Amino acid sequence: MPEPMDATSPLLELRGIDKTFGAVQAVRGLSLSVPAGEFVTVVGPSGCGKSTLFNMVAGLDEPDTGGAMRFKGRGCHARELLGRVSFMPQRDLLLPWRNVIDNAILANEIEGADRKTARAKALRMLPEFGLTGFEAQYPHQLSGGMRQRVALMRTFLFERELMLLDEPFGALDALTRSIMQRWLLDVWERHRRTVLFITHDVDEAIFLGDRVLVMTARPGAVKLALPVNLPRPRPAELVTSPEFIAIKREILAAIEEESMKSFQSSGMAA
Amino acid sequence: MSGAVALPAPRGAAGLRRAAPVLMGLGRLVLGLGIAAAVWEGAVLGFGIRPEYLPRLSAILSTIAATPEAYAAGFLRTALETLIGFAAGVAVGVLNGVLFLRAPVLRDMLFPVFVVSQTIPVIAFGALVVLWFGNTLLAKAVIAFYLTFFPVTVNTLVGLQSVDPRQMALLRSFGATGRQVLLRLLLPSALPQIFVALRLGASLSLVGAIVGEWFGDTTGLGVILLQAMYTEQVTVMWAAILCAAVLGTGFYALVALAERYLVFWGAEA
Ligand SMILES: Nc1ncnc2c1ncn2[C@@H]1O[C@H](COP(=O)(O)OP(=O)(O)O)[C@@H](O)[C@H]1O
Ligand SMILES: [Mg+2]
Repeated sequence: MPEPMDATSPLLELRGIDKTFGAVQAVRGLSLSVPAGEFVTVVGPSGCGKSTLFNMVAGLDEPDTGGAMRFKGRGCHARELLGRVSFMPQRDLLLPWRNVIDNAILANEIEGADRKTARAKALRMLPEFGLTGFEAQYPHQLSGGMRQRVALMRTFLFERELMLLDEPFGALDALTRSIMQRWLLDVWERHRRTVLFITHDVDEAIFLGDRVLVMTARPGAVKLALPVNLPRPRPAELVTSPEFIAIKREILAAIEEESMKSFQSSGMAA
Repeated sequence: MSGAVALPAPRGAAGLRRAAPVLMGLGRLVLGLGIAAAVWEGAVLGFGIRPEYLPRLSAILSTIAATPEAYAAGFLRTALETLIGFAAGVAVGVLNGVLFLRAPVLRDMLFPVFVVSQTIPVIAFGALVVLWFGNTLLAKAVIAFYLTFFPVTVNTLVGLQSVDPRQMALLRSFGATGRQVLLRLLLPSALPQIFVALRLGASLSLVGAIVGEWFGDTTGLGVILLQAMYTEQVTVMWAAILCAAVLGTGFYALVALAERYLVFWGAEA
């Protein structure tokens, strides 16, 4: 359901968002703005509040009062985003009693789609996700990479303008991961959604993103937003090009600074 | 939206592949039973055990064969009491579990009452039930129910509470309602735990039905058992015990079979 929205306003806008869990402030003064169609990658030291950011944008956690959240140009509470954003959490979280197809259509089923139609659509999408012939398999019969692709398929089938992917390739080995990255770009070129993508791999962040956000140590905020002006489609060799290396150097320096901060603060606390 | 728990069971080829080992197992079971029967028969004959202590299996079987209608009627009656009590216990137990999950206040209020109710010896409780319901089929089913609903309540609650909160969050992010989360995630997740209680309940509900019959009735395996005890007809007593064993084992096997079919994914980390 495309809602009317003026072309100039970003799809998602956060201003001065805070989030506190008891005594822990996970996020402080976080602001970001994501125009429609952009692929934004987020890197930062672990525990800096990346998943917390996603939970808020997915509508699962309400930010502390004070900040402002806008989606499609309209101010909103986080909970109003439940069912309006396509969220893929850090683990695949497939349901063990559902086979590949029925896991893939879980979100569609919940939004009330006809099960038969949804299944037929998912079946047509199987080859694109490298799952041909596996429709009737159960999660415990699949490899880690395949489970991840089923989870991605579930996320793509839940057709929302904004997709949140939380370290989708974090558990994969380096080779599978690089194959999956190129595959994801390929799929993304064809389906064109707005993507927020968390990773702890700087190469991955640059290779995939139109823009890389580097987060500060906890409490998390955006430290650096760096556009990646590298042409698409991006070949695998891109990672060794001087332009790529230059961007990588800048991002690594920012992460290093933040990692030192969190290291020192935890050292002082101990 | 379907109201039932969305649990697609594996079909077709998977079912066929699973049938072969089941048949093999069945073959081994029959063999085992045959050996046990032979040992029984042989031991009674070989050691000269007096029939007051242990009659020969063949004697017991021929006792049953002499008046099969009586045993069949008793078997069916007891089976019916067991099944009704079990079904009601499972339904109430699962409902309790869901209710206690959704309303912890209710759990804190009712759970102690349930625990106290379970400490009443089933014999004492049976006397009460017969007072209330008379010598009806319902009275026996109520005792079977009383022994079943508590373990099912506890295990359903434990199963529902052990669901992965991240999976809950995922479904909520899709915009799932509480009912959808319950049917598509919570109940299927709790199924392995629930089945542990169902297997227990299958045995307990039979105990309940038989104990219930001891308070007076005209048909049922418990009745046959009691009458044989009073008239010192040892073979008849053994015949009733054999029938109860067949009923109990059969019922347990059915529940275990349903578990294998429904909880096919096994425990996952
Ligand atoms: N539900 C929660 N309750 C308490 N603390 C939380 C919760 N979620 C996250 N945190 C804390 O917030 C901080 C940020 O966590 P998270 O967003 O998961 O970091 P990451 O950047 O690694 O994804 C961590 O210190 C974590 O312990
Ligand atoms: Mg995280």
